[in-house]
Amino acid sequence: MSSPPQSFPRITVGFLVNPIAGMGGAVGLKGTDGLVEQARIRGAVAHAPGRAKEAMVLLKDAPFRFLTCSGPMGEDILRDAGISGFDVVYSSPGAETSSADTREACRVFRSIGVDLVLFCGGDGTARDVFDTTGTGIPLLGIPAGVKMYSAVFSLTPEAAAEILLQQGIGPLSLPLRDAEVVDVDEEAYRLGELRTRLYGIARSPYLPGLVQGTKVVFEDRDDDRARAGIARFLAEVMEGTPEILYILGPGTTTGAIAHEFGLEKTLLGFDAMIKGRIVECDLNESSMLALLDQYAHVRLVVSVIGAQGAVLGRGTQQVSPQVLRRIGVSQVIVVATPHKLTETPMLFLDTGDPGLDAGFGEFLQIITGYRTAQRKRLKRSTGSCQ
Amino acid sequence: MHTKILLDEEHLPKRWYNILADLPTPLDPPLHPGTGKPVTPEDLSPIFPMELIRQEMSPQKMIDIPEEVRDILRIWRPAPLYRAHRLEARLKTPARIYYKYEGVSPAGSHKPNTAVAQAYYNMKAGVERLATETGAGQWGSALAFATKVFGLECTIYMVRSSYAQKPYRKSMMHVWGAECIPSPSTKTKAGTAVLEHDRDTPGSLGIAISEAVEDAATHANTNYSLGSVLNHVCLHQTVIGLEAMEQMAQVEEYPDVVIGCVGGGSNFAGIAFPFAGDKLKGSHKETEIIAVEPTACPTLTRGLYTYDYGDVAGLTPLLKMFTLGHDFVPPSIHAGGLRYHGASPIVSKLVQEGTMTATSCYQTEVFEAAQTFAQTEGFIVAPETSHAVRVAIDKALECKKTGEEKTILFNCSGHGDFDMSAYDAYYAGKLEDYEYPEQLIRESLARIPKIPT
Ligand SMILES: Cc1ncc(COP(=O)(O)O)c(C=O)c1O
Repeated sequence: MSSPPQSFPRITVGFLVNPIAGMGGAVGLKGTDGLVEQARIRGAVAHAPGRAKEAMVLLKDAPFRFLTCSGPMGEDILRDAGISGFDVVYSSPGAETSSADTREACRVFRSIGVDLVLFCGGDGTARDVFDTTGTGIPLLGIPAGVKMYSAVFSLTPEAAAEILLQQGIGPLSLPLRDAEVVDVDEEAYRLGELRTRLYGIARSPYLPGLVQGTKVVFEDRDDDRARAGIARFLAEVMEGTPEILYILGPGTTTGAIAHEFGLEKTLLGFDAMIKGRIVECDLNESSMLALLDQYAHVRLVVSVIGAQGAVLGRGTQQVSPQVLRRIGVSQVIVVATPHKLTETPMLFLDTGDPGLDAGFGEFLQIITGYRTAQRKRLKRSTGSCQ
Repeated sequence: MHTKILLDEEHLPKRWYNILADLPTPLDPPLHPGTGKPVTPEDLSPIFPMELIRQEMSPQKMIDIPEEVRDILRIWRPAPLYRAHRLEARLKTPARIYYKYEGVSPAGSHKPNTAVAQAYYNMKAGVERLATETGAGQWGSALAFATKVFGLECTIYMVRSSYAQKPYRKSMMHVWGAECIPSPSTKTKAGTAVLEHDRDTPGSLGIAISEAVEDAATHANTNYSLGSVLNHVCLHQTVIGLEAMEQMAQVEEYPDVVIGCVGGGSNFAGIAFPFAGDKLKGSHKETEIIAVEPTACPTLTRGLYTYDYGDVAGLTPLLKMFTLGHDFVPPSIHAGGLRYHGASPIVSKLVQEGTMTATSCYQTEVFEAAQTFAQTEGFIVAPETSHAVRVAIDKALECKKTGEEKTILFNCSGHGDFDMSAYDAYYAGKLEDYEYPEQLIRESLARIPKIPT
């Protein structure tokens, strides 16, 4: 490994590719780690290097300095893309790369100091990267497959390049937003059922302009700003309804609501609040049921999770059909920033109880800003991955 | 069968119709923001010329239109009334649809009808400059035209988001010699205060009004001009309905349904007041008069009927009207001219008392209607206008179901030639359907000033 360079004049990007991302799943294996040979025998081909190159050729003249990994984990792709300004700072010890390599490479990136990690892979790769970088270093994923569920992925490899090309000379100036990293139950998924769990929330650059196209929308451009508006509005609603117990779901939008009261809520879990206080943290199904025995008026505030648009998916197991039925469909408040909604053109409910899902009707009202809501058509998904 | 029903220039109305004279009970008076007492003419004189103040409060039923004003209105008035044969055929409706086309004015909407009158009275009063606000730029361009005609200067505070996105409206104002400033600006205390609180605000009509009022109040040679809401503005717009009534009579028709879109209420008032007057006087009691607003800013259908300020800073008199709260910043729909938290006090009262009704439409629905209209009647209407088109089509489709041969009249308030980016967004599937979360907003305690009502 080369010694850490002193200081870089340009933005430093840690770039890594998980060359085998998605290969196992494509041929019916659970994951790819350790099964590459078997996947190849079953006819799987590596897509990630090609997808990564599609993005990187567009970044040939961008003001970045890259730190990367040896061979197919980065070096080869950068060279193929015609990029020369890079240092190889990590080499995989084994013949086949694995999840451990991704984590180790990110540790090296972190210790040298990078402004951003750009990776190509799938949801599993996103989790490996996020485990090391946390929220301290922004992440951007180039999707190696067709459908990635974590919101750190750009829609296409070209879009990833376009996002990064907003950066000019000077310190990192890309607009950042919160982006969920999710854990997809691959086995259930292959059986045709989408079960996702919110794994963490990374910071990720995005392209405000792309999202709204030619639109007149102005206030939507900044995700953090929209979130602050939602939080201020919901906090006023909560202040105006001191008799109601509010169960706030996972995510940073609901987190911002608690912040309005100077409180920190469980990032990935459900907390209960009343009269500006948190009464119980990280609720599970039985503690929710107990609260429902105790309080006459209960509301659930949830946000849209991940890029797949689940409002109440099976990943949110705490909110069982029984809990939801007792809260009442009319007492569910859904919040999401406008940017999030444009990223998730299809919203669906999958509570595990089709009768309950139907109770939400054809459209869903989503609070998208201060005293503002949008109406979105609900997709009746149940089980299908498409 | 006529397609276009035209009036001779001599039939350009000589007098405006003042519906205040026919209201069964008087309008609740505007209140002074400082004292809470009814405003006096003297209170308003720093920003309005006396003749307009008189019209604002006049009990006189018909008010003469000065010849100088008629001379300018004659450039495009009387405006044509159309029978929408091709739209009817497309809808296969037994209803007869008529529309009054106000897009023929120089600025492309109904707005010059009052801009010309206001500029004239200010000129007569020796005022040198007018300050005003504009949302999407329709009103600003209309007043720019009118002030140029009468040799006044004009300063226009244009809502920032539109300033950036409607460059051609801004260009029109420049052609007519007006100064156009993005609002909020640092030119006024009101604008500076908003910017200090929130640098990235998209701005709103309410903020821009505060700036224009402050500008007028702090400069002796300058008056303020408002493009909607106030009684005298609605009065000036009644030429629309008076002409339409005469045109309908020419083909022996009287509308069963009268429709207009509502931002502040002026074009709706213009088409509707003469017919509402008939209704108040006991004839044509069955006429349905419908105000159409966006679901994003549903003032008449979801607002409270109470006293509220006309602007964000609370500089204007308190008006008794339907309001969503003077600090409500409506979502950025393309019908920028309908993004106003309040509505004309007269329209509000007539809706409250049931003489008129109100309904709201989603953004994507109205563009779909506008497309149908463009593909049959040819005119590409403004996003604001498309709200009226939507409800006219819905009413005609109702007739198709029931077999009724109703006569439907709607005000086609303006063309959409500078709104093509909105149509592009519609075709790109990028239009959001906004809603007003009424229940939650009520719970969050609307910040409406506490004034005894
Ligand atoms: C074409 C058009 N129609 C309608 C309106 C709404 O205003 P009002 O309710 O005062 O007629 C506007 C306002 O800008 C407009 O430009």
